[in-house]
Amino acid sequence: MAEKNELMQEYIWIGIIIAMLTTFLVILGYVSEAKGFDTPSSAVTCDVRQVRKGEILTPGVKEVAPGIYEVNLKARMWAWIPNSIEVVNPKKIIFKVTSEDVVHGFQIVGTPVNFMVFPGYIAEIQWEVPEDFEGTYLFVCNEYCGLGHDTMWGQLIIKRE
Amino acid sequence: MAGQGYEHEVKFTKIAIIFSFISLGLGGLFGILQLLERTPGMPQLLDRQQYYTALTGHGVLLAIVWTAFFIMAIAVHVVSRELQVRLSRTLLNITLLMTIGGTLVAAVPILTGDAAVLYTFYAPLKAHVAFYLGAGVLILGTWVFAAAIFKAFIEWKRKYPDKALPIATMGVLTTLIIWLEATPPLVFMVLKDLVPMALVNKPVDVLETRTYFWYFGHPLVYFWIVPAVTLWYFAIPKLLGVEIFSRQMAKVAFLLFILASTPVGLHHQFLDPGVSDAAKLLHTILTFTVASPSLLTAFNILATLEKGGRKAGGKGALGWLSKLPWGNPVFAGLTLAFIMFGFGGISGVINASYTLNYIVHNTLWIVGHFHLTVGTAATLSFMAASYLMVPRLFGRQIYSERMALAQPYLWFIGMAIFSLAFHIVGLFGVPRRTYDVTYAGLAPPEWLPWLIMGAIGGVVFWFSGVIFLANMGLTLISGRRITEPQPCLFTLDFSRLPAATRLDSIKFWVGLAIVVILIAYFVPFLEIYGRGLSPAPPVTPEGLRLG
Repeated sequence: MAEKNELMQEYIWIGIIIAMLTTFLVILGYVSEAKGFDTPSSAVTCDVRQVRKGEILTPGVKEVAPGIYEVNLKARMWAWIPNSIEVVNPKKIIFKVTSEDVVHGFQIVGTPVNFMVFPGYIAEIQWEVPEDFEGTYLFVCNEYCGLGHDTMWGQLIIKRE
Repeated sequence: MAGQGYEHEVKFTKIAIIFSFISLGLGGLFGILQLLERTPGMPQLLDRQQYYTALTGHGVLLAIVWTAFFIMAIAVHVVSRELQVRLSRTLLNITLLMTIGGTLVAAVPILTGDAAVLYTFYAPLKAHVAFYLGAGVLILGTWVFAAAIFKAFIEWKRKYPDKALPIATMGVLTTLIIWLEATPPLVFMVLKDLVPMALVNKPVDVLETRTYFWYFGHPLVYFWIVPAVTLWYFAIPKLLGVEIFSRQMAKVAFLLFILASTPVGLHHQFLDPGVSDAAKLLHTILTFTVASPSLLTAFNILATLEKGGRKAGGKGALGWLSKLPWGNPVFAGLTLAFIMFGFGGISGVINASYTLNYIVHNTLWIVGHFHLTVGTAATLSFMAASYLMVPRLFGRQIYSERMALAQPYLWFIGMAIFSLAFHIVGLFGVPRRTYDVTYAGLAPPEWLPWLIMGAIGGVVFWFSGVIFLANMGLTLISGRRITEPQPCLFTLDFSRLPAATRLDSIKFWVGLAIVVILIAYFVPFLEIYGRGLSPAPPVTPEGLRLG
């Protein structure tokens, strides 16, 4: 009798586990779909030597349509180029980022913008900027990239007019 | 006495356990130094070079060396005693030679500052070639070790073909199978890419090498956790004087660990360019699958604890809790480690959800997370197991029972403070692995109190580690000699061992695991190689470009 009871408890628990994990996955899929969430999965490769010579990905900020900004960034030990980005009334920022040397990580503190930057690959990610984002945001390198890693940072300035 | 009939097994266990304690001490010292250094307002004793050297040493010594040597020590003890078999003396000697030799070879460039690449050694950041070769020899040595264990196991299996696998042995086999699933591609990559990179500045593809690293990096987590789980399954029922709640469920958990601990590495690469969303989603689903054996374990151990508490006279919904032997350091250590494993599992599932991961990726949240898993679930369990094993191995009583009892609680409290603070401040965006997070005064002011709280927690559990090692050292030097024979914990009466069932046929599950691994990694590797590699030349941590 006791054994049967224990077997029942095992089945109940297995049921709970399956239900729980399935629920998490469904929520994950829903949020991912509903928010149009994508990971930086762009499959664009580039030649590091050309990047070093400046032949690929000219760094800079461009407003390609009203409120739509394209930001080209280069990572180098130990600086972001450019290290100051200014945007006015942004709706969406498209980041295209690559590295001249080693692996870096681009993270704007206080925002969901956070992705890896590789030499030989161009990472691309889009950020729909919520309307209440205004002011100066620190961006850092969050992947160890050599001894000067902590000095690799910059600022994003969002202006609202 | 303890070593009767198992002379070279005992010798191996003693050497491996002492080497693991030395690694724990040195790795812990590096840990506290770099923690204080990175926390504003704390004693800053290191320059940048020393900080990253300490951080590399901390990671390599604790994540790889301390765990691998302790696990090998306990594996030899468990398998030889539980199965009553002898292990090959030659293979064990070769293991010691290669693993200790490899570790020492890798340690030289770490200590001289020529391998400040951290324990993930992401190419094309370049370390001295001795770092890669030493690590490679260490891993090859563990394969020799696995051969010694499997050889003995096969001998036992021939003798008792119809007997069920004893639980602790199954845990050891699971650990080694996971290790053998995880390490060959890593060794292949290190030899193919990193050694030539270090020797002749061969350019390497970042995404390719990272994918190989994380192919290894996540099963590594289960290489730490499964031995801890095994200790809980084995020792907690013994300490409580009850049978484990469900032997079947424990075995199912081990089989699921074998099946799903490897094909999940991309969840460390959610934010990598060049890997498709589809591949990432596949690995997410598999990661949720490998959460299930942990949840099974959580239920099984909790139910066993309840059983023990009720047997001791505990009544009511929670009354059994107070009847548990909290005054026994072995029980306290294992159970507190188990509780922290629960919290580590919760933050782990969050990390595995790519819609949440981008908030916490590469922040101190992750550091808070793995200090609950490898840093507590595994480490504190190993410490508790030491209180059990060291007296039997060395024939000496624990020097101070009071120190032994205080130690796990102190670790638990310190880790709770540390881990909570790091999880929270990680949500605020503090990057991990960074010498100075003040950013010329631009860092948000709300970071500071949590960083300081983290450092305080770190000091507390570091101090607990010091107490542990001091107690172990004193035990070895001046613990009272045990004269009366100690019963071996692992000895089994084979005639009472139940008949083997389908849950004891590991082979089938290993085959299935290989199929799942091939499918899960076919997708990203097709993308990486199909697109064509994009190699980058090596650069030293000082910023010197080599090609």
